[in-house]
Amino acid sequence: MDLHINGTDYTVAEGSGRLLVYTLRDELGLTGTKIGCAAGFCGACTVMVEGVARRSCLTPLAEVEGKSITTIEGLARRAEDGAWLLHPVQQAFVDAQVPQCGWCMSGQIMTAAAYLGQNPAPTEEELVAAMAENYCRCGCYHRIRRAVVAAAGQSVQAGSEEAA
Amino acid sequence: MSDKIAKAPEKVAGQPGRSRWRPTRRGFLIGAGIVAGGVALGYTYGVPWVRLQMAGIFDGAEGPPGSFPKEPWAWFEVLPDSRIRLYLMKVEMGQGVHTALAQVAAEELGIGWADLDVAQASTERDMGDSLMTSGSSSVTGLFEPLLAAAATFRSMLAGEAASLLGLPADQVVVAGRSFADSADAGRSVEFYTVATSRAEWEVPQEVTPLKRWQEYSVIGQSLPRVDIPAKVTGQAIYGMDARVEGMKYGAVVRPPTLVALPKSFQAGQAGEVEGVIQVVIADDFAGVVAESRAAAQAAVARIDATWDEGHRWQQAELEQLVTVGGSGGVVIQEVGDVSRWLGGEGTLTAEYRTPLAVHTPLEAQAALADVQPERVRVWCSTQGQGFVRGQVAKAIGVDEKIVEILPTYVGGGYGRKAGWEVAIEAARLSQAAGVPVHVGWTRAEEMRYGYFRPLTHHLLSGRVEKDGSLVAIEHRQASGDVAFDFLPPFMSAVMGADFGAYRGATIRYDVPNKRTVAYRRDMPLRTGWWRGLGLLPNTFAVESFVDELAHGAGMDPLAFRLRNLGDEGDSGRLKRVLQAAAELGEWGKPAPAGRARGIAATIDVGTPVAMVAEVSVDGGSGKVRVHKIAAAMDCGLVVNPDGAIAQVEGNIMWGVGSALIEELAVQDGQVVATNFDRYPLLTIQDAPEVAVVLVDSGDGKPRGVGEPPLGPVVPAIANAFFALTGRRIRQLPMNEARVKAALA
Repeated sequence: MDLHINGTDYTVAEGSGRLLVYTLRDELGLTGTKIGCAAGFCGACTVMVEGVARRSCLTPLAEVEGKSITTIEGLARRAEDGAWLLHPVQQAFVDAQVPQCGWCMSGQIMTAAAYLGQNPAPTEEELVAAMAENYCRCGCYHRIRRAVVAAAGQSVQAGSEEAA
Repeated sequence: MSDKIAKAPEKVAGQPGRSRWRPTRRGFLIGAGIVAGGVALGYTYGVPWVRLQMAGIFDGAEGPPGSFPKEPWAWFEVLPDSRIRLYLMKVEMGQGVHTALAQVAAEELGIGWADLDVAQASTERDMGDSLMTSGSSSVTGLFEPLLAAAATFRSMLAGEAASLLGLPADQVVVAGRSFADSADAGRSVEFYTVATSRAEWEVPQEVTPLKRWQEYSVIGQSLPRVDIPAKVTGQAIYGMDARVEGMKYGAVVRPPTLVALPKSFQAGQAGEVEGVIQVVIADDFAGVVAESRAAAQAAVARIDATWDEGHRWQQAELEQLVTVGGSGGVVIQEVGDVSRWLGGEGTLTAEYRTPLAVHTPLEAQAALADVQPERVRVWCSTQGQGFVRGQVAKAIGVDEKIVEILPTYVGGGYGRKAGWEVAIEAARLSQAAGVPVHVGWTRAEEMRYGYFRPLTHHLLSGRVEKDGSLVAIEHRQASGDVAFDFLPPFMSAVMGADFGAYRGATIRYDVPNKRTVAYRRDMPLRTGWWRGLGLLPNTFAVESFVDELAHGAGMDPLAFRLRNLGDEGDSGRLKRVLQAAAELGEWGKPAPAGRARGIAATIDVGTPVAMVAEVSVDGGSGKVRVHKIAAAMDCGLVVNPDGAIAQVEGNIMWGVGSALIEELAVQDGQVVATNFDRYPLLTIQDAPEVAVVLVDSGDGKPRGVGEPPLGPVVPAIANAFFALTGRRIRQLPMNEARVKAALA
């Protein structure tokens, strides 16, 4: 079975019922995608499939065979001089010094990147709603909000947090 | 600057007792020297006296005791590219400790930030008896030893560089990764050349002078965290991510009830599952090693296990069990004589309860063990690698000396990663199968089979004079264990009450008569370390009750608190954070329509924190919304202000979840929750806006940050709820059912 991940083709064993998260982490060594609850509640395992956020813990391989899968390892790009160019969401998470333990962060970043890819000019309320199913046990929510708003190219307007 | 998990250093034979330090091709390696520590306890003055003294020590402690290496080579290594690597025994679990400690080292090394590298030390490196990464103690405990080690290291290298350059020692300066002639920058020698120029080094007898704190230039800067680039690109490696060639996956049979004891295990059909390599059966343990996690978990379910299931505990029975009263109360604070003042007319009393809760870090327990006859290595998400090492050695029957624990990044600790169960499980399976085995707990295992924040019960009485001065307060509290399950039994015999359970329980206001009594309650399930230990439940009870006393006396809750705090010492510091939080939280100004504010404060590990919460409630649904929390903290000299603020923010979110939603239910002998559907966490949509101000007491001394801000969150919310509704909720969480009942 062929999987297209981060622009690379991988051939993995047949067995279309296997879940994407385990194939990524245990078979291919792509441990940047994390596992939290294995039941779709926490969002730690979020990846993009054809640009859409998907919970890899609920995704059988059969559903993504032949499709374009992006994980956190594939979100940044190499510049011509070999330097890493972070995705704007990654850069915003660095700028706002968001992560604490970091375990949920791949999922937070993939969720935000996928959402902004489809909704380039959301309101802050829409952004927060889009992030509402990604848990952060360390409680970095204050900074996640700041970072996703910055990534969306918005400025936090006075009073908007009150309304959200 | 990068932050990486270090490979185990090669061992170098050192002569015990001598300060030796040998460079090799790799740069400096370790000499000998283990720092030992211990506590001697006496019965001379009688058990109650000892208990009261120990309570004072543990309750007021600015971080637990610990000892750290004094020898610079335990901390530092010069890399071939002349960067200097700092080894740390403290693990990075998001609290920013690697960054903060690197700043401390950089301050006295005097080298550029980019020329310093941070690495996690494995247990192979002699880093002293530093207990765990816990208790908000990493920066406070390591601050002076690390400054001294860095200064000594720099002075030794500089002295040697001077000799190589033929200059007086005071004429060499750091220039990038070299020492140079201060008069001629062209004359220089790289750090690595200096470091490899000698076979043996003697540590100078005289103490290298340290900077005055007013001169610090790296300490006090909000430098970016060293671990964040790896965490936003998926490169950071945690215990759940540990991988080695040829590794397999393990899973373990779990008991059906909280108190079940195994009667027998038999392989049953487990071996028939495709991908199973070995079914491991012992008297007290059964598990499977397989080619995949799915196969291991499927096979474990097919092991035939019989159990003595024991009593099937119910929630109400547990609450009944954890109730103040009867014998066994240990006095942990005694000032004046409360009995003269409490009990009669004018005495206010109230009762509070907090529920079981579970840490449920998003990275569940995980370890990879490679057990070989001569060498055992375990990669593990742990806050206590030294404890894991001893426990693993004991469990698999080997000498501790051959066991190396390699701590990884920790995907959420909060006290839960101070355990060692998963490391033992991986090691036992690896030992049996002869291959490296990774065990990563499922969410259900994380919810049910670790340890929990205990139930607590609190009875408070107090009396206030007409002028608003507190006359007497008594706090009697009962709790399941927090620390004792992890400590030698003599500790509980001597202390009687668990210092973890009563953290935050004593009365910190200036009251002429005050008394705190702790009742230890043995629970039929494991309870243990939690962020702040007893701080959250105790501060909820005490600071809610202080609010009740204020309202009872007809006083503004802030004015009441200030009225009962002096201006000196900790009282003055507590007063100042109350004033700062009040200003930031617009105390005294009208709240927006439909909202009200509450205030609370605490002092923990020497750090006073105060918060003002602004809440509203939806009377129909019973949902409380926390709109904003303003916090003021005095953690003294701050190494990294943005990092300290991040810890306050995280504690606030943790506290809001505990205040409003978190409760671990038990039914028919088992924890109900197996996943987040039955134990939901706070989400970004319910997260409050946060504002934080750091207040510096100006004595140049750093104090703990990781836990103290958890204290005031819950009572500030509860007090705001009272201000809004006139109703007091005295049992956590303040969920929709309780709010509706309170408003009815």
